[in-house]
Order: sequence, then structure tokens, then C-alpha cells
Amino acid sequence: MIDLPVVLAANLLQNVIFGLIAGLAAGAVFAILGVGLVVAFRGSGVINFAHGAIAAYTAYTFDQLREPGGGNIYLPWIDPIPELGILKTLHINNLPVSIQIQENPSTVLAVVLSLLMAALIGLMLHFLVFRPLRNAPTLGKVIGSVGAFLYLQSVAVLNFGASNRNDPGFWEFTSDADKKPPLENFLGLGSNLPRSTIALAVTAVIVGAIVWAFFNYSRFGLATRAADENEKGAALLGYSPQLLAGANWIISATLAGVAGLVFLHRTQPSQFILLVVPALGAALMGNLNSIIGATIGGLTIGAVASAGVSLTNESWWPTDALPADGIRQFVPLLAIILVLYLRGDKLPIRGSISIGRQPRAPATNNATLGMVVAVTTVLIMSNIFTSSWESALTTTLIFVLFMQSLTVLVGYLGQISLAQWSLAGVASWMVARLAADGTAVRELDFFVKDGPGLPIPIAMLGAIVAAVVIGLLVGLPALRIRGVQLAVVTLAAVVAIEDLLLRNVWLFGEGADTTNPMPVPTIGDSSLSGFNPESNQTDNWKYTMFLLIMVAFVGFLVVNLRRGAIGRRFLAVRANERAAAAAGIDVAQTKMLGFGISSAIAGLAGVMFSFKLSQLTSENFSPFVGLALLAFVYLGGITTLFGAIAGGLLVAGGLSAEFGALHFEGVTQAIINLIGAIGLIVNAIVTGGEGIALLQTDQGKHVLSGLRRDPSIAPEDGPLTISQEELAGTEGATV
Amino acid sequence: MSDNVLETNGLTVTFGGLNANDSVNLAVPKGSFVGLIGPNGAGKTTFIDAITGYVPMSAGSATFDGQDIGELKPHERAQAGLVRTFQSLELFEDLTVRDNLLVAAYPTKWYSFILDMLHLTPTDHEVEERVNWALDIMGLNNEADAMPTDLSHGRRKLVGVARALAAQPKLILLDEPAAGLDTAESQILGGHLREFLDHDMSVFLIDHDMGLVLSVCDYIYVLDFGQIIAEGTPAEIRDNPSVKAAYLGEQAGEIQAQAGEAQRMSTAKDGEVTS
Repeated sequence: MIDLPVVLAANLLQNVIFGLIAGLAAGAVFAILGVGLVVAFRGSGVINFAHGAIAAYTAYTFDQLREPGGGNIYLPWIDPIPELGILKTLHINNLPVSIQIQENPSTVLAVVLSLLMAALIGLMLHFLVFRPLRNAPTLGKVIGSVGAFLYLQSVAVLNFGASNRNDPGFWEFTSDADKKPPLENFLGLGSNLPRSTIALAVTAVIVGAIVWAFFNYSRFGLATRAADENEKGAALLGYSPQLLAGANWIISATLAGVAGLVFLHRTQPSQFILLVVPALGAALMGNLNSIIGATIGGLTIGAVASAGVSLTNESWWPTDALPADGIRQFVPLLAIILVLYLRGDKLPIRGSISIGRQPRAPATNNATLGMVVAVTTVLIMSNIFTSSWESALTTTLIFVLFMQSLTVLVGYLGQISLAQWSLAGVASWMVARLAADGTAVRELDFFVKDGPGLPIPIAMLGAIVAAVVIGLLVGLPALRIRGVQLAVVTLAAVVAIEDLLLRNVWLFGEGADTTNPMPVPTIGDSSLSGFNPESNQTDNWKYTMFLLIMVAFVGFLVVNLRRGAIGRRFLAVRANERAAAAAGIDVAQTKMLGFGISSAIAGLAGVMFSFKLSQLTSENFSPFVGLALLAFVYLGGITTLFGAIAGGLLVAGGLSAEFGALHFEGVTQAIINLIGAIGLIVNAIVTGGEGIALLQTDQGKHVLSGLRRDPSIAPEDGPLTISQEELAGTEGATV
Repeated sequence: MSDNVLETNGLTVTFGGLNANDSVNLAVPKGSFVGLIGPNGAGKTTFIDAITGYVPMSAGSATFDGQDIGELKPHERAQAGLVRTFQSLELFEDLTVRDNLLVAAYPTKWYSFILDMLHLTPTDHEVEERVNWALDIMGLNNEADAMPTDLSHGRRKLVGVARALAAQPKLILLDEPAAGLDTAESQILGGHLREFLDHDMSVFLIDHDMGLVLSVCDYIYVLDFGQIIAEGTPAEIRDNPSVKAAYLGEQAGEIQAQAGEAQRMSTAKDGEVTS
């Protein structure tokens, strides 16, 4: 009897050690991806959020080549013309997309072609996105990077479809195949280890060593490191920094491709996109410049995450409250926060690199008239519209509401957070949980949620408080972490929130991990829910009114915030934290206030979203939706209410999309996101991220013409060729 | 209670084994104008950074207005009335000149954001007047609604001083305010510096321009290699042999010093005429 705990402890230890070893497989991929991120960063000073997406596109390409009935490659763009219906019959000016190679190509050919694809994407990123942005402020680079991420993700969905792939992968042709039986009772730890785990770990170490040796002992590597230290100096010595950057992009993208190929047998190609998060953790552990550091960092993150997951198999582990996937995503987040937090300063030090110009944030002093016009327009629309148009109207309104949270946090305060839409998700889940009383909301609901059954207004308040609490937690690192690094932290937070919170049955009750039934707000006997059971459509006009009041009220608050003393303080913190502290501003408190206000608005948007539909899944709050929303609000104008309105009109499911669907067939969410991604990149290059709304003002025109004259920011030698071709076709869908 | 608004005792700042400030003892009496001079790299800006909380003190203490400020954060020291300017401008470039001043001048409470968002915050006339006064004294009235990026370097420097003035400091720390100013701007600044004393504040000035320092200060400290090597009235400093060796030894310094003395005489005369 005494021995039992000892046996259990020994068992636990065995499992954890085995978990550490098994995690080296995923760790190897993080390491290879991380090394690629370091190469790109050293080559051009960019943190490439699209790095995982390159791996995904390469893996898709490899799989497509070997697919029965496949044997073709899809170039990394789409042909806008056949998608847009009316021009389909003309057969003019088609952009080649698919190239047939041969049925069942040899593995070597498939590998070579896939890696060439990766290199091509790397070159595209260099020439079309990051080279034009090379002198842009931090903000421009970050949104260019987010745009590239969204672009590749959307193109992958459009070209390869969303269905699952089953590629046995690359290792079946080597001696060390996964097909072969796993290593039984590995090292006597009682579990079976897949053979490819060892192959992967060895591959990561070899890849890291080769890249390290190449950069340390070749002339090219020396030149790259020189240009990284001092671009002008390197140019004086006769090295072209841009040529070096281009070559580094090819190497970086090819490394991403390698990661995609070696791990394909374990996962779906689409899964690689978000592996950029642990890869960023790995690269940061190497301080973004050490290849060895990134390799070790990647392997460590993989091993620790896997060991953490192995704990969730223990009988005592509260799997409901702390699900395995949540733990898996939480480890990279923790690694990223720790590394950045320990290295960060409370205030930037003297002479540290300036953040560059920020988009202007003019105060709106004549908001009343604009507000009256906007509200009247919505009232008229709601009266005329029926069914899908009413639904598109409310979608636009929800996103206008949500985007104001980004206006406050990113526009006014300058804190680039990618996590706000996830907070809307938290609020959405919370209102459903708090309002649930253990009975079915609707007859057709799959799940009956248990809960305290609070009245809707109190449940709304509770949900907003929950969003604020999580929002403040996400914002805490911002006290010491700035700019693009904060964007990295919040991207990691998005992934962790999705798996740790939004699929958490213990917190949010039955259905949280699949389909959440959403509550119905009422006044007297009439329902304020967007879903109208009589028409079986989401076109309840009373919901539109409810939503309109909320949007207008928040708009009023946000415009006033900019005009007052606190708004000035936000802008002061955005412009210069050192000077803000010297002016007596508590920078930490001001940042937390911004995160709090923004999270409350995001929470309200999430709650209103949950009232619109009868059911929601965590897909509604996926990282891709959140990033697309950020793309569109940037496109509209991150600093003003009108920007949020313009952004809300453009979003998938909104009024422009509805209008586009009327005239063109096949306008899917992926196409809309693609337009958003291209628009975001163009916006970053042309206006430095100011957006459509500010271009209409006289000052905006002044800025725009000024930018054109400034050769350092102006687009040059046709970086927009593909974008323009795509836009030429796709603009029709939005206008 | 001493009558010193600022006092440091053995203030030491160490950067990796190097003492940038080495046991600095210094006092600024209330209502006085104190200067700190020294050659490049003597540790002058480090001293301001240390007492305003931008670099940590390694040893020693600093007392402001009778309160030990060693543990206070930079913004807390600013709120207490210890306000600095920066050598490197550090303006809020997205805000107009007037808004730059308003940021520093407007006090906020924890609930201010609620009033602001509901547009219920009343205008504080006292604050607005103070801002207008600061704009006025620095000759920035015509540029109040311009963006700092549209101004010359010298004008921006004056905005930095005006921003510090608008915060209603008890002690204003000027870090080389005259560097980069053209002659006209220098005169605006020099002509008004002693006026600051009439507005319930004391002034602490760091500058390279010996003429300026000798002409406006009541008392001067000389810093070299992080240590105070001399202190005294302008006349004493001018005649101090170790100061001459460290700083004024060159002929240029001598000429500057004489120019400063001449300027001092003329401002003194102006003072007599006006009073």
C-alpha cells in the first residue's frame, strides 16, 4: 500500500520523460521554421508572420503533385477572371495558375518542385511586400507581414480547397519510415515512439548546423551579417543590401518549405500556418539572430509542450478545465512572453530605435452631423432591406462596433494587438454561459447548456467584464514589450485563447468545443435576437435597432475619447513613452486603461454577435477571422470612426460582400479576405497604414503626395504588378 | 527642513564598472537658478536622467521638496513637480504644439476617461491660461496649431521647454536648451530664462554655452569625469584654476566667459531700467 504513490510517481516521471522525447518531432519543425525566421530577420529586419503559411503552401504543393488525379502545381495566386462570372466566357487575359507536370511524379521531382515553389513565394514576399516596405515605420512592416499571412492563407484555401489531405509524406521512401513499426517500449519508458521522431530531431540539428556553418564561414554569410549590422557600410564595401535580402528570403522560404515537407506525414498542410507561433518562440529564444539558439529553442518548446500534454493523460488531470490542445499552445506563448519580458524595458532607453511615423489620428469635431447621417442611413436601409440584406447590414454593424476597439487600442494608443477578436469570442461564450439555465434555448439546439440563468443585461455585463479581465492579461506584456514584438505576443495569445478558453467545456459548458447555443434577448414578448424564426432568416429588424443603438453609443464614446485629455495622453504614449513619462503620464496605467476600454468594446461586439446567430462555433473567432478584421480596419483607417465604418462595410458577410454576391458568382469569404490582404499590403506601402478614411481629407492628400515624392517609401519598379492584376479583377467584387 | 528644493547626497550612477556620476553632492535652493557645466561626456545628462528616474542610482540619495525620490517612478517625479526637458527633443510628433503642452498641463483622475467619453469634462481655464502663458513666453503663439515636424529644430527645442513650463514645475531641469538654437532663438530663451523664477519655480540648467550659463545662473557646479570639481558663483567659477584646466583652459572658453560677463552686466542694467 505504501508503495503505490511511489509507483505512480515513477510512472509519471516515465511519462513526462517520454513526453519530452516524443515532443522533439514537433520541436524539430519549430526549430527549422525558427531558423528560417532568423534568416529572414537578419536579411531584412522583418518578422515574417507568413512563415508558417509558406510551409503550408509547400506541403500542399507536394501533396497535390502526388495526389491521384493531381500531378499539377498551383502558382501562389488566383486567376480573378473565372471567379468573377461575367468575364468567364471571354477567355481573355487569364493569369496562369495551374501547371500540369505529370501524374505520379517521382518523390525527388516533387520535392524539388515544392521547394522551388517555396523559393518563389520567398521572392514574391521580398519584391512585392517587404522591399517596398524596407524604410517604412514598424507599423507598416507589421501590417505588411500580417497581409502576407492572410494572402497566403486565403490563396491556399482557394487553390487547394478546405478538405483534408492524407499524404504519407516524405519518409516512406527513406529507410526510417513511419510505415515501419514504431520503436516499442522506447528506452524502457513503456511507450512506443514513431521512428520518424528521431529522424526529425536529427534533421533539425543537421539543418541548423548547415545553415549556421553557411552563415559563419561563407562570404555570403559574412556579407549578410555585415549588412545586418550596418546596411550603408555593407553597401560601401560593394555588397548590394537588396540582393542580399532577396537571397536571404529565398533561403528563409526554402527552410519553411523543408519544415513543411518533413512533417507532412504527421499533420494537415493547413496546420502549418499557425505553427509560426511556436516558431516565433524558437526564433525569439535565439534573440532573432542566433541560428543555434533558434534550433535549441524550437526543440525545447516542442519537448516541453509535449511533456505538458502527456500530463493531461494522467487520471487526476482536470482535462475539462485544462485541455491538452490548450497546454500545447500555452507553452509557446509562455516562452515568448518570458523571453521578451525579461529582455524588455519599462521605458525605451535613450537613443533606442525610433518607431517611425504613425498614422495621423485627427480629432473628429463635427461628429454629430456625421452620426445623424449614418444612423438615418441605417434606419432607412433596415426599412427597405429584407432577409440576406438585413443580415449583411447587421454583420457590417457588428464589425463597425468591433473595429472601434481597434481604433482605441491600435489607432489611439499604438499598441498592435491581434487578440481583440478572440476577446469578443470570450465575451460571446460567457454571455451564453451566464444566461443559460439548463433548459434548451431553442428546440433544435444540439446542446443544453447549464448555467446560473442570469437575466440578459446582467449576463451581458458579466461577459464584458470577462473580456476586460482577459484583455488586461493579454495587455500585461505590453508594459515592457512594444511594436512588432507585442504583435507576436498577441498572435500567440490568440492561438492559446482559442484552445485554452474557447474550447473549454469546464468554463463555458456543453457545446463550447463544438456548437454553442446562443441566448435570446427580449423586451416584453418580442425577441431582440437577430434570428427570426418566422422567416427562418437572420433578419429581425428589432435586433438591427438594438445593435444600431449600441454602435452609435460606442461611436459617440470613442470620438469623444480622442477629443479629451485622456485621448491626448493615449496619443502621447503612442508617440513617445519616454517623453510621456516626463510629462507626468503613468505609461503603464495608460496602456492598461487602453486595453481595458478596447476589450470592453470588443466584448460588447462579441455579445451582440452572439445575439445575432442562434449558434456559434470557435471557428467564428478563429485567428484568421481576427486578422482579416484587423486588415479591413487598417484598410478603412485605424485611427478614426469613419475608418471603422469603411472597414465594416468591406468585411466578408457585410454590405459590400452582399452587393458583390449580387453581381458576381463565387464571391467567398476567402476571396474577400484575399482582397483585404492585398489591400492591406498596398495600404502599408502607399500610405504607411493610414487607410482610406484619411486619404479623403486635404491633409491626407498632402501626405499622400508627400509620400510619392519620398523615394524611400514610394513603390518602385513594379512591386505591385501582381497585386494590380488581382485588384483589377477583384475590385469589381467590392465596389 | 532645508530650503533646498533639490538635494543630492553621494549620488552615484555606474554603467558596467564606469562611474558616470561619482558621489555627486549638489543642492538647488528654492527660487534660485543653478547651473551645471562640464565637458562632453562628463555625466551631465546622466545626472538629470538619474534624478528624474530614467537611469537607476547605484548609490546615494536624492531629495526633492523634502521627500526622498529614490523609489519614485519617472512620472511620479514629474507629477511631484520635477520636470525635465530632453536634449534630443522627444516631442509628441502626432500632436499639435498646443496639444503637446496640454498633455503635460492637464491633470487627470482615474475616472477622467468616463467624463471624457461622455464629453462632460469642463474646460479648466487655469490650465488653458498656463498653456497660453508658456506658448507666449517661448514666442510660439503663431505656431500653436502647427505640428512639431513642421517647425525648425530650434523652434522644436523651444516647444520642449514650453511643454515643461506648462506642467507647472517646482523645479525645471533644462538639458542643453540652447544647443542647436540660432541666434534669435537663443536670445528669446536667454532673455526669458530668469523670468521663470517669478513663477514659483527654481531652475536647473545644463549647457555647453559658457556665456549663457555664466550670465543667468546664481550658482554653478562643474562636473568632470562624473565628479564635482568646483562650485561657486559665476565669478568664482570663472577664476577657479581647476575649472580653467578642465574646461575653460582653452582660449575659446575664456572668450565665451568674457562674453557672458558682458551679457550679465547688460541684463542687470535692463533689470534696473524695468524695475
